[in-house]
Amino acid sequence: MSNSYDADKETFMGAPRTKIPWWPTIDYSKCDFCMECDKFCPHNVYEKIDDDVRKLFVKNRYNCVVFCRACAKTCALDALTFPDKKEISQLIKKLRSEKS
Amino acid sequence: MTKEIICILPCNGLDKSLGVIAREVSLKVIEKMPDVQLICPVLLNNGDKKYENLIQTSKIVIINGCMTRCPTNLIEKWKQKPFKQIMIPDMSKKYKVKPSKDLILNEENIKLAELIADEIVNDLNKNDQEKDIKIREFQEQDYFDITVDKYYFTVPKEGYFFNENDCWIKPEGNTALLGITDYLQNAAADILFVDLPELGSEIEQFDDVGSFESSKTVLQLISPSPGRIIAINKSLEKNPELMNQDPYLKGWFAEIELKNFEEDKELLMNGPEYFEYMKNKILKEKNHLDQIKSERDV
Repeated sequence: MSNSYDADKETFMGAPRTKIPWWPTIDYSKCDFCMECDKFCPHNVYEKIDDDVRKLFVKNRYNCVVFCRACAKTCALDALTFPDKKEISQLIKKLRSEKS
Repeated sequence: MTKEIICILPCNGLDKSLGVIAREVSLKVIEKMPDVQLICPVLLNNGDKKYENLIQTSKIVIINGCMTRCPTNLIEKWKQKPFKQIMIPDMSKKYKVKPSKDLILNEENIKLAELIADEIVNDLNKNDQEKDIKIREFQEQDYFDITVDKYYFTVPKEGYFFNENDCWIKPEGNTALLGITDYLQNAAADILFVDLPELGSEIEQFDDVGSFESSKTVLQLISPSPGRIIAINKSLEKNPELMNQDPYLKGWFAEIELKNFEEDKELLMNGPEYFEYMKNKILKEKNHLDQIKSERDV
């Protein structure tokens, strides 16, 4: 999988990827930094920083595959959330109509 | 008739509570079904001959503590398919029991282990797996195809619609079959296990319908349309390789009752459109890999 993803040029379903707010949000009150999500994600979305108190960050938000929530399955503590799919598909439809 | 041997292979990750729970599940299953044989993952990994015959001839239940999936990877070395595979994080969500981080089993973790063990025992006692399998007849399809390096990719020319998550839908009246594309099965490599959805469950457009797992990764089937699950392809539980061998026909995953496919179609691609999309994606990935290779060779 490509790590050198050029988000500005990418589209998803015809809408600019950078206009689609789809990526995981980490709930730090739940996360125990087991790093299973980071180990699992092949798209380099997360970043592990051992020296930081929070240790885990969303580094490359636009690398995240829109509608994929597979990393959340790895989290037994339910510390990862994603936006509402319906709202995102409505937004994509709107962005596509604006473009056309 | 010879009695079928059942064995259980748990994660033994003693440095994580999920591993401790996996181990506890296997002990509880054995308590409930004393004939089940326990496989020690450490000894198995050492290549001990003790398990060679057992693994090749028995029904295997795998209990993974985390996504490292050590038991799955161990079984893959023998090219065996598990009868059932459990992922502790999935189960904790299913049973709404949050495992604590303690390495010493506490009340919550024991409760979760008990629930999972009961599910495994119920499944092992079910003998109706075969009769749930309905044979479907399929008409031959015409395909677009492309070969890149040693990989061959196909896309049906008509009758199917696709999302950008590489999943397809084949509408037939007010119902539709769902599955994964040839691109996705190639990316996953040998599929070893499927997690099918519950019959009757309602899914939204772009919800994950279920997951499938290879030795490389775990992937989700993201539904191109919303609807109610009215059938699942039970034969995939026994023959998950159908998703690799015949992703557009015998490898179908689930069937849904459609709501308004004309509206759903707005965000989907037809065969020729998806073929172009897939081709671009494959060639982009190839260029990227070639670039990495040439930089490495310099």
